[in-house]
Amino acid sequence: MSLDFDWHFFKTMFKEELRLHRSFVGGMGSAFFPVMIFIFSLVLAFTSPVVLKNISKETILLVLHVAALMYGLSVGALGMIGEQVMTRRLGQVNMLLQISANHPITFRQVMATFYVKDLVFYIFYSILPLIAGIAVAAPFAKVPFTSVGQLGITLFLTFLLGMSLSFLLSALAARSRPAAGVVGLLIVALVVMVYPLGYLTSGQVLPTLGFWTDKSPLPLLIAAVLAVLMSAGAILSTKERFESKQGVYKSMLLPMEEKFAWTGSLKLLVAKEWVELRRSGSLGPVVTGFLGPLFAVYIITWFFRTGMGLPLSFNVVFYGGMVGFLGVMTYSWLTNLEPNEFMNVQPASVDQVIKAKLVLYFLLTSVVSYAYVIIIGFIDGELNLLPLALLITGATTVYVVVVTARLTGIWTNTMLFDYRVLGKFFGAIVPPLIIVMVLSFWIKTAPMISIVLLVVEALGMLGASVLVYRSVVTRWKGEHFAFATLTAGSGASN
Amino acid sequence: MSVIRVSHISKNFGKVKALVDLDFSIEKGEFFGLFGPNGSGKTTITRIITGQLSQDKGEGETMGVPFTDGLGIKRKVGIVPEAETPPTFLTAQEFLELVCRLRDLEKVDKRVDKWLEFFEIEDKRDVLCRDLSRGQRQKVMLASAFIHEPELLLLDEPFINLDPIFQKKVREHLVDHVKSGHTIFMCSHILEIAEKLCSRMAVIKKGKIVALGTLDEIRTSKEERLEDIFMRLVGSGD
Repeated sequence: MSLDFDWHFFKTMFKEELRLHRSFVGGMGSAFFPVMIFIFSLVLAFTSPVVLKNISKETILLVLHVAALMYGLSVGALGMIGEQVMTRRLGQVNMLLQISANHPITFRQVMATFYVKDLVFYIFYSILPLIAGIAVAAPFAKVPFTSVGQLGITLFLTFLLGMSLSFLLSALAARSRPAAGVVGLLIVALVVMVYPLGYLTSGQVLPTLGFWTDKSPLPLLIAAVLAVLMSAGAILSTKERFESKQGVYKSMLLPMEEKFAWTGSLKLLVAKEWVELRRSGSLGPVVTGFLGPLFAVYIITWFFRTGMGLPLSFNVVFYGGMVGFLGVMTYSWLTNLEPNEFMNVQPASVDQVIKAKLVLYFLLTSVVSYAYVIIIGFIDGELNLLPLALLITGATTVYVVVVTARLTGIWTNTMLFDYRVLGKFFGAIVPPLIIVMVLSFWIKTAPMISIVLLVVEALGMLGASVLVYRSVVTRWKGEHFAFATLTAGSGASN
Repeated sequence: MSVIRVSHISKNFGKVKALVDLDFSIEKGEFFGLFGPNGSGKTTITRIITGQLSQDKGEGETMGVPFTDGLGIKRKVGIVPEAETPPTFLTAQEFLELVCRLRDLEKVDKRVDKWLEFFEIEDKRDVLCRDLSRGQRQKVMLASAFIHEPELLLLDEPFINLDPIFQKKVREHLVDHVKSGHTIFMCSHILEIAEKLCSRMAVIKKGKIVALGTLDEIRTSKEERLEDIFMRLVGSGD
């Protein structure tokens, strides 16, 4: 087996990536995303002297590195993308990834090039702008340039670790789900050994963090070797051929339509979405993808409270607000199931599909959200705040997902790369969320006024949700179902 | 009243002029063929006629519904798009049931059975569309356009991926459809279709109609072969 690196193929793939991005979000949107990251990190770095008075340097490093790791994990699920491409699940988007089907190049070579291409792309697209922002602010924030350089290296290596781990897990999962599950469990066990068991330090599990305590190059070397080994392991375990089993199922669309009769005119589309969710094997990932972050939020805040001793009161109302915000990921998952291009020739419109997805979203998240908040209320002994927390949960959940649906339709993942959409999204979501968080912290010192303000805010968000929901129709009714085709204007063919 | 009326339609994709001042109409009971080389604008005008794409200039209507009301048009017609894209995670039967329900049709089971039998894919009714062959997927897409027996069928390269037996079977069905008073608009670059099926045709080149009429009207002499007509009208296909 040859794994020679073909520079021409790499450059062609890189061009493809740039054009794919532009087709999704336009030239300006594509260029503006790194600019936004640059500005974000610049502002953060400028304010770091103030932040450092309240939060320790260790905490900030931990948060930055965990974020870089999570980002790498989200970028690196290439094995899954490979499987999807090879089994024709990406609608009309055909990519160079498929070239091994008809040309003398192995799929492993293609995936290896794709991996390097993605790595380079995301370094330029987000890691470098992040570091550049910090570097520009460094003289003003009195951060030495050597520290900025070191941070750049450790963040890059952390991103690489996340990306290679995710690639390895997804490549293994395409070959053997149990094997991927075992590796995944081992990683969870390592994390648990750090928090809450405390048998290991975070630096021992994430070597790039270890560098900041040891100040020795050894952890960086270990991180680099680990990343290379995991990348090589992923490429070597990439399947050369995807032979999906023929899926045979008794029709369940019409029985499901009857079950969803209570959703009125949406019953058929809700049934369709539900059947697709089940058949695609996404139900489990969607639910765990929601539960995971909820669990992570509780662990992180627990760590802040107990480990770092931050003087913030993370009460059940705070968690209610977070639940609503995290629901965006679940909605995003639901929009990834099927390109729905076949609907272009049927009497159905995008706004109807959005509404059906919203129904499914509430079905999937409501029980989990309320159960999460109630359990925390019991665990933390805050039953008196529970009614308010449940109101906040409902209001933020409805508000955030309706705004997401209004802004991104059924292309959440891609449209959030558009700086205009991202700007509006943050403008609409972040201020209300910050107010919820601040007021929830304030309950401890001024309970009466903060509770009244929280109730007013919840009612305000619910009222705004009604208006935004109504505008979903005007925004999306006339849109085409194939987003990439529409924006790229490829209808010029034939 | 014209079933399709296209009035001075133009469409650009950036600097590319996809359609230039198209102007024609199609009457009830016609089998109309639109022919042209790759990239000539066949799919673009089909998408405008079916309300999937908006024009830059001009106006028109399909079955009395303006091109701007895509949903209204789709309720009234049957469309087979150029690419076969039935939903990945629904079975063939479920997809056809979905189409019936979207169109508020009665006797869903009977209709689904009829078209699965017509295309001889009854044994594939429970298979996910993802796992069907290309030809089978095309059959499912054709069935989804035929299932409500629409007044007007708009077909973009409908014979793609079909074997000769089914090409013949679908051709015969389309002829019967027109004989019973329905209308067909078909895009293709298969010239034989013009002779075998079409009552009237248009030839499009670089977004412009270069010929419009019956085959005899377009021919310069009775001896002129289809290929010669095509070469004369569209050149070397650039």
